Amino acid sequence: MTKFTAWIKTIIFYEILVGMKATLSHLLHYKPITLQYPHEKRTLPDSYRGMLALLRYDDGTEKCVGCDLCEAACPSRVIKVFSAEVPGEPTKRYAKEYYMDMTRCLFCGLCVDACPVDALGMTREFEWAVYDKRQLRLNKEQLLAIGDRSYPVREKRLEFQHPNVAFFNVAFKGLPEKES
Amino acid sequence: MPNVAVETVKLTIDGQSLTVPKGTLVIEAARQVGVMVPHFCYHPKLKPDANCRMCLVEIEKIPKLQTACSTPVAEGMVVRTATTVVNEAHKSVLEFILANHPLDCPVCDQGGRCDLQDFSHEYTPTTSRFIEVKRVFQKEYFSPLIEKQMNRCVQCLRCVRYCDEVMDVKALAPVNRGTMTEIKHFGTHELDCEFCGGCIQICPVGAITSRLSMYEFRPWMLKRADTVCTYCGDGCQITLQTKDNQLIEVNSSLGAGRNNGDLCARGYFGYHATTHPDRLTTPLVRRDGRLVPATWDEALEYVAETFAQLKLKHGAQVFAGVITARCTNEDLYLFQKFMRLAVGTNKLDSSARYGQVNAVRALCRIQGTHRWPVTFEDIAAAEALLLVGTNITEANPITGLRVKEAVKKHGATLLTVESLQPTVGTISNIANLAAHHFTAHPDQYKPVVLGLIKAVIEEGLADQPLSQKAPAYLQAIRDAVHALSWPTIEAATGSSAASFKEAARAFARTARAVIIVGAGVLREPGASGLAATLQDLLLLTGHHGRPGCGLAPLAEQNNDQGAVEMGTVTECLPGPCDLDDQEARARVSALWQEDLPQGPGLTIPEILEEARGKTLKALYLVGEDPVGSLPESARAKEALEGVEFLVCQELFLTETAQMAHVVLPACSYAEKDGTFTNTEGHVQQVRHAIEPVGESRPDWEIFSDLAGLMGYPLEYGDAKDLLKEIRALVPGYNLPGPTPKPSRPDHTAVDRYLQQGYAEDLGERYRYTPPVKAAGRLTLLVDQSLFHSGKFSTKAKGLLHLQAEGAVSLNPADAARLGIVEGDRVLLSNELGHCRTTAKVWDRIPAGLCRFPEHFDQEARRLLSVSIDVATGVPYYRSAQVKVEKAQ
Ligand code: SF4
Ligand code: SF4
Ligand code: SF4
Ligand code: SF4
Ligand code: SF4
Ligand code: FES
Repeated sequence: MTKFTAWIKTIIFYEILVGMKATLSHLLHYKPITLQYPHEKRTLPDSYRGMLALLRYDDGTEKCVGCDLCEAACPSRVIKVFSAEVPGEPTKRYAKEYYMDMTRCLFCGLCVDACPVDALGMTREFEWAVYDKRQLRLNKEQLLAIGDRSYPVREKRLEFQHPNVAFFNVAFKGLPEKES
Repeated sequence: MPNVAVETVKLTIDGQSLTVPKGTLVIEAARQVGVMVPHFCYHPKLKPDANCRMCLVEIEKIPKLQTACSTPVAEGMVVRTATTVVNEAHKSVLEFILANHPLDCPVCDQGGRCDLQDFSHEYTPTTSRFIEVKRVFQKEYFSPLIEKQMNRCVQCLRCVRYCDEVMDVKALAPVNRGTMTEIKHFGTHELDCEFCGGCIQICPVGAITSRLSMYEFRPWMLKRADTVCTYCGDGCQITLQTKDNQLIEVNSSLGAGRNNGDLCARGYFGYHATTHPDRLTTPLVRRDGRLVPATWDEALEYVAETFAQLKLKHGAQVFAGVITARCTNEDLYLFQKFMRLAVGTNKLDSSARYGQVNAVRALCRIQGTHRWPVTFEDIAAAEALLLVGTNITEANPITGLRVKEAVKKHGATLLTVESLQPTVGTISNIANLAAHHFTAHPDQYKPVVLGLIKAVIEEGLADQPLSQKAPAYLQAIRDAVHALSWPTIEAATGSSAASFKEAARAFARTARAVIIVGAGVLREPGASGLAATLQDLLLLTGHHGRPGCGLAPLAEQNNDQGAVEMGTVTECLPGPCDLDDQEARARVSALWQEDLPQGPGLTIPEILEEARGKTLKALYLVGEDPVGSLPESARAKEALEGVEFLVCQELFLTETAQMAHVVLPACSYAEKDGTFTNTEGHVQQVRHAIEPVGESRPDWEIFSDLAGLMGYPLEYGDAKDLLKEIRALVPGYNLPGPTPKPSRPDHTAVDRYLQQGYAEDLGERYRYTPPVKAAGRLTLLVDQSLFHSGKFSTKAKGLLHLQAEGAVSLNPADAARLGIVEGDRVLLSNELGHCRTTAKVWDRIPAGLCRFPEHFDQEARRLLSVSIDVATGVPYYRSAQVKVEKAQ
């Protein structure tokens, strides 16, 4: 490279022009990229990881068996499960209470992966801005409601004696309850 | 324990060579070099059964794989545990197990600490060749405490073997064959057994789990604290497991503590008592006749001020204090120091008064030391065991397990003298294992023991050296038993002379013999005398003073022994030393840098007496509830009403506490640190598992604060600080090791007894006058049951499931004669009153006796009169004569 070309490049700020190329070309063929949210909305990708939800089976029963595995999997301690026996159905386990503190969630999806019965799902909801942080601490009913509106098509509940499946929801009705 | 030269064997496991004693199993040898052989059915406590085939290993020169759990080591053996062939074997064994195993892990309480999970992770491929439908067992019932999920069973039979080999309950058995083998008990109703929880703990998978904590936790959430159970004197080490400051479950670890991992129902299922919603959470002060909540400052200042005023007005001798022997050593020690220094009186006592004082007195008198001369290991290794007056399985279950071990594993000869008959039932009965059993009513223990001594003398079983060393003593006993004729003894005991002679021969001709006595001896009139007579028996047969032999009196409360050693009983200073032992007084006051108060001590009955006489102005009760626990004839209520200022330090608002002027909430054992001394004299660490409930505080902290407010600062940083001070005064409180060193009898004391000490009451001890019994009456015995102990067990929901109310148990013949059948309402009555209860017909009860569980005896207690031991001041109120009839 000659000294001259180098000199020319210096005085016309050649490197900067190279860097600004994309910007400058948009300046010429102007077409806005910014979406006018909330009037305009983006199409979300298929694998979008939005608000978490608890799901139900087709017969309306909760899928969650209260196993605490999501709680164990969660890296930021979002989830708190209180499990117990289903009232009236001895030795059947369910989540008596279930809380998620969404202020801490990373939306990593590890809890969804951990769940052995696919009771958790990630929805496409993301419009969860609130004035009071406490509103982001969700209980079981709220999480089920999110699931209900996001997953209208529900999974069929497996039959009890299906070969080689879990016996989780084996229940024997009409027998004494565990006293508390 | 005897020292036998051990033969050793050299072998190689996975390339590491090691030397182990002959007879060691390969699996155990492997563990020693850190090689874990996977196993289900093997358990160090149980005899090898080799039924699961999980532990297969390759041994050179043996063509097929061998089960490591049943193959003993041999010289030069070369074992490989991780070859391809072995791994293939592991895989196929697991594939078979998993063919039927449900995928329950997420809801299974064992998930996270399950052997099957762990081995599956380690050894199996993730697919299975089985496509068949899995087996499903129909459920017949759900148990409130022990839940069986047979679909998860791997059929290792550990539970069955534990229940038989260790517990001797035999409640479980495998039913059906092959993969359909199911663990059942006998009957389609709920499990009915000792509820030791052993099968839950020993099950390698989640097939047997505790319903009490079901689904409340996942194993990884639990925080653990190793501490000591407070339900009896055995002092079992338990692990309290907590989650978010909640007690979730109790475990024990194999090989840990004096219980070696075994527990009883109280230890395993009784943990809810400490967190019962009725726990006191704030101090209460009486204002306008009502107890109202107050702050700690208010309450303590009020107590300190009132104490100071009363002391100014009446002097220190109007104060008295009683503490429960369920407190830690640190609490007990500081209590007596507080009473002696801050208050300035020796009038203090503890609940060790109710029995342990008799035991310690008998030990001190003849062997010169106050602790057991034997350990639990010695009991297990004994050749002959004599149990007198202890239904050991119900009172001290873990000592009972050592007795069972001695008989079942090592073939010891067992002699029992007990008010139960040897019959099979849902809970084990030590008398069933006895080679010689004497059924005795509480007042018949003495003639039985005298019969045994007479037999020893007449059969010429008396020790030769003794006749040279103490001819006069021997002659005195000879004369005394001579004066008792066999017909008298036979009439008094209902057993034949021949049976006494046989039993005496079996006992005397052994190298190692231990005599265990329980509440039947220690809490009945004539206790310390009978305990001394039993030591005569040991002296006569030459067992006294020999290693591994001696008298072992069972403590009822978890820290009975500690209470005596801390000097928290009337007659003792810390050490324990006699209250009027000048040398000991000097030593204690030098350490405390303060003079000890003069003046006499008072025992619990004497304190109540003084209170009734209104000479007592202030009473400090720590964890003691005389109104709620003594019979009405002790007139405790009347006594306490006469006390001007009553302070109770309690966990619950007991009947006594309701009468108090100030109630201070104390911590339970699960919330504090310290030490307990168990029945064999082993000091063990107590560690807190949860934060104090409400505003409750450890007892010693309360004493310390009160002392400060009263101007006698007794300040300690923590419980460890206190233990340091205790060590300076009481021997045997240095860092507790895994096993206690039994105390060796002091020869000067033994000689003193043999030369002259015996003469003081020998005549009295060997005289037998048949008791006068009114015709048509039964002896009512108020006795401890397996499922309850202490004042709090009735607050534990697990134990209430097992026993929630009292019923009087009758002998079938008596019941038939009275026209009573099981479940009938009956009326018990005598001069003192009457009570109505339900009848239970039980073949374990001997004729002429009826038994009532101590913990539900509020009504029945009315029938008991209190007699007080002149020598030891122990109040006795365990038995009475009653008329039993069918209630209309
Ligand atoms: S998405 Fe991740 S951070 Fe959020 S709850 Fe699930 S595991 Fe926790
Ligand atoms: S992992 Fe699934 S089943 Fe288990 S507690 Fe969480 S949501 Fe419920
Ligand atoms: S027993 Fe073990 S392997 Fe079986 S379901 Fe329970 S945790 Fe899983
Ligand atoms: S809990 Fe019952 S069945 Fe289980 S080992 Fe103990 S006594 Fe046997
Ligand atoms: S219940 Fe447990 S301990 Fe008993 S046989 Fe089955 S797996 Fe073994
Ligand atoms: S552990 Fe060896 S066969 Fe079961």
